[in-house]
Amino acid sequence: MKIQYQAKILALSDIPELNAANSATLRDEARAALRDDQTSIDIDLCRTRFVDSSGLGMLIALHKTSVGRGGCVRILNPTPSVQQILELTRLHRVFEIVKAN
Amino acid sequence: MNLALEFPTDGSAVPALSRKTPLVLAPFLGQTVLEHALAGLASEGVKRVRIEAGDQAEQIQRVVGQGEAWGLALEVSSALGRQDGLAPARVLTLDQLPQLPQQPLWRNYRDWFSAQQALMPVLARQRVGTREVSPGVFIGLRSRIAADARMSGPCWIGASVFVGPGAIIGPGTVIEDGSYVDAGAEIVGSIIGPQTYVGAFTEVRDSFAWGNELLHLDTGSLTKVADRFLLGELQVRRNRLGGLIDIIRNASRRFVALTRDTKTRSSSRQKTRLRALEENLPATALPSE
Repeated sequence: MKIQYQAKILALSDIPELNAANSATLRDEARAALRDDQTSIDIDLCRTRFVDSSGLGMLIALHKTSVGRGGCVRILNPTPSVQQILELTRLHRVFEIVKAN
Repeated sequence: MNLALEFPTDGSAVPALSRKTPLVLAPFLGQTVLEHALAGLASEGVKRVRIEAGDQAEQIQRVVGQGEAWGLALEVSSALGRQDGLAPARVLTLDQLPQLPQQPLWRNYRDWFSAQQALMPVLARQRVGTREVSPGVFIGLRSRIAADARMSGPCWIGASVFVGPGAIIGPGTVIEDGSYVDAGAEIVGSIIGPQTYVGAFTEVRDSFAWGNELLHLDTGSLTKVADRFLLGELQVRRNRLGGLIDIIRNASRRFVALTRDTKTRSSSRQKTRLRALEENLPATALPSE
């Protein structure tokens, strides 16, 4: 996973899969990387080809962290498969989803 | 009259429909496309049908038998071309159903779905035990619908289907035989394939869900859902179905927070549910495949 700092936003990208094997680790890494002055998290899923319930739990955990700081989580460029999973679980109404043109 | 029935000329636009079965055996309102076609031909007075099945002859033979179900003399041929030197009176390519010749089936997924919606009232009258419980809402034999489930037509609910409390079905929805729609699920403009479990409080919209595969009808995007408490195939026999459903339901309660409508719930309750989900979501919730 790639981590970048963009002012008040922590940007995560390069995540091939979000599953039971790596979701807890990625969640902890993201939380550890979040600076005190950062409130929001952008998660670019353009390269994510697989998400299961554990991966969704990781996204929700980061959402909770971000909301607690007065910010939000944005999901950027989800692949069609990931978009389908977000809609199936109704998480497309919890996260802001942003797609590049 | 005798007739040669040929398979679709081009199914490349709908590859997901031929992943599990031959294209002509795709589910279609309680039966397969082929079975409905044979019923339509029989009603037109056709007596003998040769099905040009190619390398799918064995599968096709298992489904149609000798044609006795339709009063037809059926021959399933695996060889290309005519073997007996006799030309059929008519050759029909199964690119559309005889009952709906103006509606192509295989140009895209929407065509296949549109044909089902158009034929719902007609095929409901022909299917034993199917009744119209409200305008445009058809329910098959032995189905159980929770009292507070909401159904809007056009809507087809097949035989032996369970629809749980608070579920929202339709408009424009087909739920094939033997499927289980758990509490609070919302299915709109979609098809649920046979023997499919739809998890509690999930949302299926503009899609075809069959087993654990989810196909978007417009984009053609196909994804496999890893977690069976969200979407899965029902494989157990009916007398053990209750036990399986209990296992799935217990796991799916962890997703209650995700599937409530955020506009209708208070933010504090939403936070509580999200926290419960985050802390309790298991790495693997169900027995392995």
